[in-house]
Amino acid sequence: MNALVLALIVAITYGSRAISLVLLPRPGARLEAILARMPAPIFAGLATATLLTGDRSLVGGPILWAALGALVVSPARSLLACLIGGAAGYTLGTLLIR
Amino acid sequence: MSTRAILAASLPAAAAILVFGTLYGAAARAIMGVPLTVASSLLIFSGALQFALLALLSAGATTLPLVLITAALNLRHLVLGAVLRPRLEGSRLRRAALSFFLVDETFGFAVAAGQAAERAGKPVGPVTERTLLVAGLTCYLAWQVGTLIGLLGVGLAVAENVAGAIFPVLFIGLGALAVTRFSHAVRAVVAALLTAAIAFAWPDLRVVAPVVAAVLVALPGGER
Repeated sequence: MNALVLALIVAITYGSRAISLVLLPRPGARLEAILARMPAPIFAGLATATLLTGDRSLVGGPILWAALGALVVSPARSLLACLIGGAAGYTLGTLLIR
Repeated sequence: MSTRAILAASLPAAAAILVFGTLYGAAARAIMGVPLTVASSLLIFSGALQFALLALLSAGATTLPLVLITAALNLRHLVLGAVLRPRLEGSRLRRAALSFFLVDETFGFAVAAGQAAERAGKPVGPVTERTLLVAGLTCYLAWQVGTLIGLLGVGLAVAENVAGAIFPVLFIGLGALAVTRFSHAVRAVVAALLTAAIAFAWPDLRVVAPVVAAVLVALPGGER
């Protein structure tokens, strides 16, 4: 990779980030309602994607236990509680798998 | 949400990003050299993309595959930006500057902060913008410091597993904050299942699967 290719990659990356935020007008009410429904599904999808590897398998046990720990306390709707639940799950998973 | 509160919320993600930055710096030095490794982290600021580029370069890829993977992995930014757009009220110039910090984690913090402001009856725009900026700068700095540590040859590979656990936990927490109605929870569960199905069927689409799934489950109307 040379500087020119890097510049092209940077331009595509920045363009993809800016295009919706800068060029799109404020969406209409119907589209805004659809967009407002998307954050929770996006986060659920991202969490799922981080638990999968590129070869159709799940990540290591302690990470799954961490996710389970966070999921158990998620009804509390607190980021801190999820982090604590995740840490507890990770510790438990490490101890169980050892 | 105060700057200090945004910083506190961003720190676990920043710590994980720092660890992955060291892995990137250490791996990229041998393949890209020091100047391009530093420049890539400074200018691209995308762990998923930078690791994918590294994998392609190590396999001897030419320019076209590099550009194609860049376009494919960045497609999700279009949707993330569209979701965030109604929550930003600043000028085009301000939004253009903020958009550099649009990554999965900062998107999450910004949306969560905006929703909290909305529930408290406060203006959404300023809080969302401040969160995107502060969380973005925190994560950006962590990625740069991590890359430099990796370039210096300091190994943090032992921390990789712990860092790997932070992201699912973080996204579950942000998802929990984003659920304000029963229908949101149902859509989130369906999106998780759909993401898993897409990722198992087409492993190479794993990075864009969450956004594809989210779009599909958000389209049907109705709230409960």
